[in-house]
Amino acid sequence: MNEANIDVLTNEQIGFQLILHSGNARSKVLEALRQSRQGDEARAAALLKEAEEDLNRAHHIHFQMIQREASDEKIEFSLILMHAEDHLMSTLTMKELVKELIEWGKQRL
Amino acid sequence: MGVKKILLACSSGMSTSLLVTKMQQYVKSIGDEAEIWAVGQDQAKAEMAKADVVLIGPQMSFLKSELQKEADKYDVKVDVIDMVAYGMADGKKVYEQALRLMGENQ
Repeated sequence: MNEANIDVLTNEQIGFQLILHSGNARSKVLEALRQSRQGDEARAAALLKEAEEDLNRAHHIHFQMIQREASDEKIEFSLILMHAEDHLMSTLTMKELVKELIEWGKQRL
Repeated sequence: MGVKKILLACSSGMSTSLLVTKMQQYVKSIGDEAEIWAVGQDQAKAEMAKADVVLIGPQMSFLKSELQKEADKYDVKVDVIDMVAYGMADGKKVYEQALRLMGENQ
């Protein structure tokens, strides 16, 4: 999927793009944990890497928003945007925790 | 088929609630009739018996096979909302995806 340019998106679509990429990452992070639990560490590692790429796409959108704000262009706040931020942050936390959990699981073998 | 019943589900039911509004606007504009509603991930299983089709957000695609297993009891299809349609909050495209899935079921 191409990296989105927020200039061509409505505020609502920016929120949905953030949720889409964080959401894809969230699904892959949880799937990675499941794969690791079933003993497929290679698949788990690949899924975590893919999740990080999804999070990079979300960060790319975020970065443009911050730049926009830094150039004194107001970003209109909305519930959907706040919700999108929640998605991004919770997925980042989830990813760090799942990485640790996978390592922990390996040590217990 | 009578009124089409489309269930949308995402982790908290929030982003899909907005998508429901977009879909309903489109359905109204083409003179179609459909019942479309959104729930959070924990309610999806309880609500799917009432639906003709279930569409889930990308943040819960890891639950698709688990949900499909439950939906098989009611002969209902579960699919992940098309990424481009979701990312653009495109109610028309998501509605068309739901219709396609229902068509496959007939």
